[in-house]
Amino acid sequence: MTAWIPLLVILPLSGAFLIAIFSGMFKRIGGILTPLFMLILTCLGFMFFFRETDVLVYHIGGWELYNGIPVGIHFVVDGLSVLMVAIINLMGFLASFYSVSYIRKFTGEKYYYALFCLMVAGMNGVVLTGDLFNMFIFLEIAVISSYALVAFGIEREELEASFKYQVLGGVASLVILLGIALIYWNTGTLNIADIAIVLKENGDNKLISFVQVLLIAGFGLKAAMIPFHAWLPDAHSSAPSPISAMLSGVLIKAVGVYAIMRLFFNMFTLSYEISMLITVIGAVSMVGGVLLAVGQWDFKRLLAYHSISQMGYVVLGVGMGMVILSVGGSRDVAVLAIAGGLYHMVNHAVFKGLLFLNAGAVEYKTGTRMLREMGGLSNNMPLTSATYFSASMAISGIPPFNGFFSKLLIIIAAVQGGFYLMAILAVVVSIITLASFLKVHRYAFIGFSRFKNKKMFGEAPFGMGLPMVILAVLCLGLSLLIIPFFRDIFLSPAVNTLIHTLDYSQPILGLLP
Amino acid sequence: MSTQNVLHMVIILPVLAGMVLFLIPRQYFYTKGILACLAALINLVFSVLLFGRSSEMINICVGKELIPATSALQAVIAQAESFMMMNSDGLGRLIVLFVGLFTFVICVYSLGYLFSRTRPKHYFSWFMITAGFSNGAVMADHVLLFIFFWGILGLTLYKLVRGHNSLSASAAKKTFILIGASDGIMILGVALIWHLGYPLSMSSMSITTGNALPVAAFICLVIGAFTKAGAFPFHSWVPDYASYAPASSSAFMPASLDKLLGIYFIARLFNQMFILNEWITLVMLIVGVSTIIIGVMMALVQHNYKRLLGYHAVSQVGYMVTGFALGTPLGIAGGLFHMLNNAIYKSGLFLVAGRVERHTGRNMIEDLGGLSKVMPVTFFAAVVFSLAIAGIPPLNGFASKWLIYQGIIEFGKGEGVANQLWIVWLVLAMFGSALTLASFVKFLSGIFLGHLKDVYLTIKDNRFLLCAPQILLAALCIVFGVFAAEWVIPKIIVSVSGEFSYTGVWESATVSLMVALSIILGLLIYVLFVGKKVRIDKPFMLGEQADHRAGFPVAEFYKTISETPFLRFMYKAAEKKYFDIYEVARGAVLGVSKGLSWLHQGILPVYMIWIIAGLLIMLLIVM
Repeated sequence: MTAWIPLLVILPLSGAFLIAIFSGMFKRIGGILTPLFMLILTCLGFMFFFRETDVLVYHIGGWELYNGIPVGIHFVVDGLSVLMVAIINLMGFLASFYSVSYIRKFTGEKYYYALFCLMVAGMNGVVLTGDLFNMFIFLEIAVISSYALVAFGIEREELEASFKYQVLGGVASLVILLGIALIYWNTGTLNIADIAIVLKENGDNKLISFVQVLLIAGFGLKAAMIPFHAWLPDAHSSAPSPISAMLSGVLIKAVGVYAIMRLFFNMFTLSYEISMLITVIGAVSMVGGVLLAVGQWDFKRLLAYHSISQMGYVVLGVGMGMVILSVGGSRDVAVLAIAGGLYHMVNHAVFKGLLFLNAGAVEYKTGTRMLREMGGLSNNMPLTSATYFSASMAISGIPPFNGFFSKLLIIIAAVQGGFYLMAILAVVVSIITLASFLKVHRYAFIGFSRFKNKKMFGEAPFGMGLPMVILAVLCLGLSLLIIPFFRDIFLSPAVNTLIHTLDYSQPILGLLP
Repeated sequence: MSTQNVLHMVIILPVLAGMVLFLIPRQYFYTKGILACLAALINLVFSVLLFGRSSEMINICVGKELIPATSALQAVIAQAESFMMMNSDGLGRLIVLFVGLFTFVICVYSLGYLFSRTRPKHYFSWFMITAGFSNGAVMADHVLLFIFFWGILGLTLYKLVRGHNSLSASAAKKTFILIGASDGIMILGVALIWHLGYPLSMSSMSITTGNALPVAAFICLVIGAFTKAGAFPFHSWVPDYASYAPASSSAFMPASLDKLLGIYFIARLFNQMFILNEWITLVMLIVGVSTIIIGVMMALVQHNYKRLLGYHAVSQVGYMVTGFALGTPLGIAGGLFHMLNNAIYKSGLFLVAGRVERHTGRNMIEDLGGLSKVMPVTFFAAVVFSLAIAGIPPLNGFASKWLIYQGIIEFGKGEGVANQLWIVWLVLAMFGSALTLASFVKFLSGIFLGHLKDVYLTIKDNRFLLCAPQILLAALCIVFGVFAAEWVIPKIIVSVSGEFSYTGVWESATVSLMVALSIILGLLIYVLFVGKKVRIDKPFMLGEQADHRAGFPVAEFYKTISETPFLRFMYKAAEKKYFDIYEVARGAVLGVSKGLSWLHQGILPVYMIWIIAGLLIMLLIVM
């Protein structure tokens, strides 16, 4: 099975170039090839859930050790990265399928699909690679293609958003690069597993604390944590909707939260201050994001601010796990907190992706994103309305939808771990989330139509409807992850990867040639 | 059938029926309704069956026998089993019985009510799903399972209003936000219980409220129950819901099912899950009586009759909270009995209101009058319900209030802060009852008495589907009142609350007989001695002969209340929604949101400064 691993990067990468080259000859090639490739990747990703050993390592080029240091790059498939791969590619498949109908109204379709594939390749690379600098490269691939995709509408608003995103993203990249350089200087290696061993031997170090802060800021910006969030509302609301779904649904997770989790659990030695810092940033984002969201009248902007808030939940859950581990608290509670965070991350990909697709369908049919100009859409677009409702209930944490269970885990873990304030905040944020999504429901979907042109809108086309329905079903279906049987297949391996912080290095270094 | 199977039926059957009804297209509305009624009837039969069973703990994992023992799914079920415990004890079975009853009765009414009006989409689907999950919530023993069912009910409640205009849409939104908020807070409570290390099954909890954490857990959970039942200060969704939702769904949710569920959970909380200390008892009693008084004071000044009923739905909850807060078997019996009675007459009143609204299209008492001439059946039912809610013997409302009063007196013999103040609770509760009567005089006379407008002359009061549920509920009011002491209390209530005795025994049947006799006697005297000497004259008003077109300004009489010095201030504040927890919180959140948005001007250098500042602050903390 190991031989299949590089395909996860090669396939979308080659897709990007194939589309760019051949789209002159075959006009529709992007619309056919991208969903097809993404479907294959999704199947591949899910196949890795049923791998024989816990950790699979693929060595690119078969490089030998040099002075005992692994210099070659290798891809690692473990519980956490396989979870990420599954989310990325599933969302990628649905978003690209949705794009086929959606993107027709734009010019330059071929660039769109090429960039889309490139972005997926970058994200897959980030979550698979076991090399720190390589992670940075893939991160830049993903992020730079997302800069272009945000600007895809090439109107004033999109270009401005993309510009801000580039400038702030550039700062983050610089900070991350500086951090990586300092680590290399300090440890003499770039292999994450190897760095972990070296850092453990070296013990506590001021420089490493400095690097940790740099990386929190850098990856925190990519993950849109407050106060590094300012680029997100513009970028996510200006991008074409399937891209918004990808950005909010997976990109901020893959290049932001995933990187934080991987590096801080498996590479650095957990320290109380850093863990607490991450937890507090998560909590601040959770509260600030929702407070900003509830006052918005632009549908996609509202969703974008909710992404900040929901990622706050994820970081809060994971961060509490870090704190508990770092002070040597109860392992069960740490497991609960981390599981809650990861579970919420999976759920967020699904429901936030769906919400952006809904917003896209509404914009596609009505031409507006302003809630005050909408109304009565449940009569015109019953499918969009119904799927929106299930997604909004999921994000608000109403049973029986998936968001309820992940928030439940986070809240219970917070109380168990003695983070009473965090638990209360999590509940309050959940309530305000519910309020803001009911506001959208009220203004956009029920009541009287306020559209200026009174012509009847129909339902979105099939190509857009199907992904929405699949995601709505997933909003319900992912609730099953709470049941231990499914949890053990999908979620627990990822939690174990994080909780056994240093076990990460063992199989990887042991398996080196 | 084993009890387990019956239990499955009362939960799964309605939910399944609801799901199937989704599939039937909208134009076959009548078919949908009939199917829903059938399902509700079958559900009622199973509820009755269940009521006859004995108490036991039941595991509801289904289909274990169907799966081969070696299958991996067995493991799934085995792990899920610990969460799937259900407790079919007396209280639960009683509530399920009444949920079944109301589901059926109101379903039949809805069929007639909605057929020719604006039809909320998927009304019957959500209706049946609500019934199924209510049964689930009542029967659940594991707290997490309970929270799961309970949370879904907030969603179905929202779906049953389904705004057709902006007012009902915002009422729906407000309702769901308040309910959703309380559900979230309940999760916090459950997490605290878990943290404290108590078992998570309700029947074996018994948490002592000694220090801060158990008290916090109790408060979190009780907020959920209060919001659902509509007790002050979490009541504010009830009047809005009652005003703007279809009357049939008001009769179903806030008037009956939500009361049953909320009070059910209060009963569990007060008497099973927690052992209350005297200060909590005191606070709960304060909440109880202030709910009574505030609800009824607000009801008095309403002009919209559906809103008036909504405030009474709040006020009545106060009696039940008071009863359960007493903690004695007598108080519990009173609270429980009042819960059942209230559900009967309050849903009946909403059915009446729905009919009035449907036939006249008006919501204000001022626009109506004299409807008793064209709607005799409805009028009769309305009189019975009004007298019952006002606590006039021999109707059921009196019987249960009597128990609560007795309970308070009994409670006064104990030692403790709350016990010493028994006279306060008693006086306020009785005062509330008097005010209830006053406001129902307004309701009855404003709508049904006085001069009938010509436009209403064509109203017909003969639709079986609409009349039958009203008559049935009115009959229940009388039966529960007349046979309260002889049959209802010993047969239904005592098995749940435990044995009790009290000094002021109420011989309901005997007294009812006396009342009936005296009425007949009075009629006889009237017919024999007075009847022929009656002189009919034109009425005078303010020294002039009254013009019948001038109307019958009942609502005006109540203006004096809202102009009393202190009360005027309070009513003004209430009008500005200062007491509405939802509006206050909403204002605060939106204010903060505005402030934060103001910071986000979209200027790139500012954002850069934030990043650098964030980096520096983090460095300062860590280094």
